[in-house]
Amino acid sequence: MTHKKLITWLWLVLLILTLGGSLLGEMSQAGYLLMLFVTLSMAFKGRVVIDHFMELKNAHPFIRNTMQAYFYVLPIVTLVIYLFSSGRL
Amino acid sequence: MEQTLQTTEYPQDGHIPGNRGMWAGILCEMTEFAVLFTVYFVARLFFAEEFRTGPDQLNLLAGTLNTIWMITGSYFVANAVLAIRKNNTSLSLRYLYLVFLCAAAYMVTKYLEYKWNVAHGVSVQNGAFFTVYYYLTLTHILHVFWGMLGLAWIIFRTHGGAYSASYHEGMESFASYWHATDLVWLIIFPLLYLLR
Repeated sequence: MTHKKLITWLWLVLLILTLGGSLLGEMSQAGYLLMLFVTLSMAFKGRVVIDHFMELKNAHPFIRNTMQAYFYVLPIVTLVIYLFSSGRL
Repeated sequence: MEQTLQTTEYPQDGHIPGNRGMWAGILCEMTEFAVLFTVYFVARLFFAEEFRTGPDQLNLLAGTLNTIWMITGSYFVANAVLAIRKNNTSLSLRYLYLVFLCAAAYMVTKYLEYKWNVAHGVSVQNGAFFTVYYYLTLTHILHVFWGMLGLAWIIFRTHGGAYSASYHEGMESFASYWHATDLVWLIIFPLLYLLR
């Protein structure tokens, strides 16, 4: 697959995830399902943009690792804070 | 100064997209937003109920549309870089103009969203969630605006034949900045508009 085809497919996946997330947010009650979807899709979307749109997958390790770390830390912190603020931790 | 590598598909291992100066700026931007996200998380802990109910009062359609504009702008700018790597300046320019359209659409959507907010009484007076919402989104708008200025320069330079397959460092630098601004929105949107 060419790079152009790959990013085109990934763009469509990102759009579908975005619309799916909004639909879920609109229709569902607050809860763990929504929170899980939010944190996982945040991590996935960020990783897709970093690896394939920004082409950091094989970039200088400092830049790659720093940017990728952002999308490990933010979803995990989101999960932890959500559990804390809902009294589960 | 980092020389952009000549390749039609993928750059070589260990490359730095654009130049180090832009990456210093991007990492500063990511740090700035990390501080703002920390404020979000601390506020969420102390005002849990407000953060649970706040998203319901925001315009989800506007947030969704802005996510679409940002993701699509990123897609177009990635294509602009791929095109210039094949020495296709005219195609690269078309993609750059499409990026500008996405950015403009983002700004218009944001304006209409804020107008809707005013009409529905969504203001910083309503509590911590809305203070954080306005602070995050206004800061992001500023970065999109700076990006539009940078994009105008890149379009001007591309028109002037400054970029080619063997040299397009400026375009790659701009693309990296634009992607970083998109990444920040990909965090802002679910935190403010979805998470209850």
